[in-house]
Amino acid sequence: MAENQTSSKFLLSAVSRRSALKGLAAGAGLIAAPGFVRYSQAQSSAPVKIGFQAHKTGIGAAYGRWYERTTTAAVKLINEAGGINGRPVEIVIEDDGTDPKRGAEVVAKFASQHKTDVVYGTLFSHVVTGSAPTAGELKIPYYVVSEGYHVASGALNRYVFQPGITDVRSQVTSVAPWISSNLGKKVTLIYPDYAFGYDHRDYFGPAIKAQGGEVIAQIAIPPTESSFTRYLPQIPAETEVIYHVMVGPAVLTFVKELGEFYGSGGPQLFGFIDSLEAVDIKSPGLEFLEGSHFWEGMPRYLQDNASDAEKAYRTAVGIDANGASVQDARDVSTAGHMFGCWETLYVIKKAMEDANYQGPADRAKLVEATEALTEFKDGAEHPQGDKVFNGKMHQVFGHQNISKVEGGKLKRVHRTSIADGLYENDTDYTEQAL
Amino acid sequence: MRGSGTGRSRFRAFLLSPVVMAVLTGEALAHASERGHVLLLPTGYYIVGAVLAVFASFLVLAVLPPKTIVSAWSRRLCLGEIPDLRAVTSTLSFVVLMVLVAAGIWGSRDPLSNPLPLVVWTLLWIGVTLMQGAMGDFWSWINPWYGPYRVVMRCVGFVTHRCRRSTLPPSVLPDISPAWGEIELSSTLSPTVPAAREAGRAQLLISPHAGEMSGRTEGGNIGQKRSIYGRLAYTPALLGFLAFAWFELIYPAPDDPFRLAIVVALYWAASFAGMLLFSYNRWSRQGEFLTAFFSLIARFSILDGQETGGRIRLSLNWPGAKLLDAAPLPLSGTLFLLLALSSVSFDGLSKTFFWLGLFGINPLEYPGRSALVWLNSFGLLATFAVMVVVTLSAVALGERLVASRHCFRGAAGLLVWSFVPIALAYHASHYVASLLVNGQYALVAVSDPFALGWNLFGTANHHVEAAIVAGAGGARLIWNVQVAAIVGGHVLAVLAAHALAHRLHPDRGAAIRSQIPLTVLMLAYTALGLWLLSTPTAG
Repeated sequence: MAENQTSSKFLLSAVSRRSALKGLAAGAGLIAAPGFVRYSQAQSSAPVKIGFQAHKTGIGAAYGRWYERTTTAAVKLINEAGGINGRPVEIVIEDDGTDPKRGAEVVAKFASQHKTDVVYGTLFSHVVTGSAPTAGELKIPYYVVSEGYHVASGALNRYVFQPGITDVRSQVTSVAPWISSNLGKKVTLIYPDYAFGYDHRDYFGPAIKAQGGEVIAQIAIPPTESSFTRYLPQIPAETEVIYHVMVGPAVLTFVKELGEFYGSGGPQLFGFIDSLEAVDIKSPGLEFLEGSHFWEGMPRYLQDNASDAEKAYRTAVGIDANGASVQDARDVSTAGHMFGCWETLYVIKKAMEDANYQGPADRAKLVEATEALTEFKDGAEHPQGDKVFNGKMHQVFGHQNISKVEGGKLKRVHRTSIADGLYENDTDYTEQAL
Repeated sequence: MRGSGTGRSRFRAFLLSPVVMAVLTGEALAHASERGHVLLLPTGYYIVGAVLAVFASFLVLAVLPPKTIVSAWSRRLCLGEIPDLRAVTSTLSFVVLMVLVAAGIWGSRDPLSNPLPLVVWTLLWIGVTLMQGAMGDFWSWINPWYGPYRVVMRCVGFVTHRCRRSTLPPSVLPDISPAWGEIELSSTLSPTVPAAREAGRAQLLISPHAGEMSGRTEGGNIGQKRSIYGRLAYTPALLGFLAFAWFELIYPAPDDPFRLAIVVALYWAASFAGMLLFSYNRWSRQGEFLTAFFSLIARFSILDGQETGGRIRLSLNWPGAKLLDAAPLPLSGTLFLLLALSSVSFDGLSKTFFWLGLFGINPLEYPGRSALVWLNSFGLLATFAVMVVVTLSAVALGERLVASRHCFRGAAGLLVWSFVPIALAYHASHYVASLLVNGQYALVAVSDPFALGWNLFGTANHHVEAAIVAGAGGARLIWNVQVAAIVGGHVLAVLAAHALAHRLHPDRGAAIRSQIPLTVLMLAYTALGLWLLSTPTAG
């Protein structure tokens, strides 16, 4: 039914939909010389098809929009530069509804119906964990951009990779030294009472302890809570740093009530941009965040010392100096995460070129080629910075950014080393059969 | 306590049995979203103010002479005539539908690029509903069945036969419009003919002897032998709407272009078969749920059309004025209208922290539709059931307060018309943000329905301002629009209930007393509606 469908239809910001299609055509033009009969040659003349498992609907839609824009921008550049192994790249989009069961269906559809070469782009952890078994069963490489520890934990399978974005465990571990040295050693954790919060609780505690600090209180907030005034008195008076990772619609209320609780004083605040991704920092209610610090995967605001590669990336994706769409200043991007799409696509390109990938029959070779990657250099393909890749864990490690809210904007004050976020575990996917 | 808790746990476990509860670990990307900004607004004051405003409208109406209200509300302004081209436009609509179905099958897999889901869920379900309610019976011009029906009938020679039986010219749609039958009387009304109105109203006074179809010209009039179809009344439409609501709100992938294309094609074919079997007029009025729904909603609109020999005479009336002369709905019609309202309400409720919390679902880690099929199926039916019980109880209590001798089903069927503005207000406020954003996606998609790089209408490169409703400013604006819609809808509902109650109970005091329970329900619904729009939700 859908095998001949062109699904790479894009709705873009800076990169218009038509220019994306033209980009695709430009790539195709490399093989569309006079006398060329389309698809009459060997399979290697056809486009490399990347199945984009997108959160177009459901609770991930806000992220999905920017993941798609980033994907489109990267594919346009890849095609303009000759594609992959001389073949244009075609993105086939399927909506998973941010739904794990549908995610698995989409992966199967990519493998059997669209016959894409790989599956890519999944963000939400529960969709990743729901889809990964299908990818493993169908033996189709599955490159996720999820940030979850699920890949490196060894819980998934050999066909699942996370080569474009670091995981929560690494992020949490890497910020501990700076917090201890600059904000304080007595930390109170305020976190949502479920898996995401537990990651921070479980990994930050040991990390800050290793720096001579300690978590003096852990305040778990029920996920359905929308007012926090009864929890705030539980914060010990001797707290020097409040480490907060609240998420969801009540985040603004949390910040507002925290501000009302402490007035103009109070402990230092350290949070994760996950709380306010795609939200304007200058929004009413967030005034109390002024002077506080956040982890960012990649800076939302253009920094004074931004690299040329970073500037080029921002231009290509279409975000302005404030991290919003160049066409709509209200459309704040998910800058802290979406760079992972860009970098993952270039990792796929690199691995396919290393494996001399020709088609689905080479998927096992592609897996091995990806596992053989060890490092990615800072530059146009990796604008967030250089990284090291652990082929056993299928997980990348990189720099993290710590930014301070100044004048309603986030200004980077520290960039962690890659070593700050490294950790060891016994995951070794290479031991699994292909 | 222990027993009941165990019972609840089992019940919850049953409903959530398919839920993938074991998420290994996770980044938490639950978006702060626009609802976060709304949470910072003084929504509690808004809700209290809205309830007081609706209550005040009831008090004002209670002291105003009913004749003054009805007289002012019933004024009309004739706008002139337009040619009746509905057979043509309906045929064109059918062609467009077939193109959309083809796009669903062969076009982009992306539900925000493929025109089919955007047209069905945004332009049709949201846009046409609002247009029906605000403007007039637009649907009768674009429904995709009438044109093909005429073609088929003409081909098989039935048209001539039918036309001989009709008193209207063959080129006229005698009953495609909701104006036929049900609002025939209102069409005759004008400020210049109060006598006709009074006479007509006298005819429409509900009678304790009237059955479900009282006031209608088909299938249920007292003294007529009722056909099977007449006994069914709105039941096919009710079941159709229930299936539609389930597909829209609960089925895991209603946006999937291919699946939607199949569903649309099958539904069109099934409905067309129904029309061929029972006649177009009958099946489209009470069997085909979209036309039935749109016809009910059009009662609120400001435009009315009267067929006059191949032309349509348009007149302008006040919003909701056509409700005044509505005939009582049969019980199935009452249930149909309440289902429409409760389905939208459940759509809002099902995503609230409150609802999810009741069943132990973490809204910050929303498991997706697939995991909630059983729970939401239960929720949809439960919301409908509660709505029916509460509404009918309010009507029953009101009738009891005045020792009414009217048939209960007839009284309910008449008073339920007052819920039309509420349903419209809910529809508008619930979907306004979606309409603003997905409407833009639809504009883009229709220019290139098969994702081939076309630009048919010059909108293919339009930048979709997905953040048009984002941020504190957008959230505040949308919230105020929602409050205005909810308050306005409920005030008009109180007004409609007031007028309809006077039809039931000519005695003014009795009419007012009979409205008290329904007014209390509407006050509660005002608060509920605004609470649903301001409470924390998943996504």
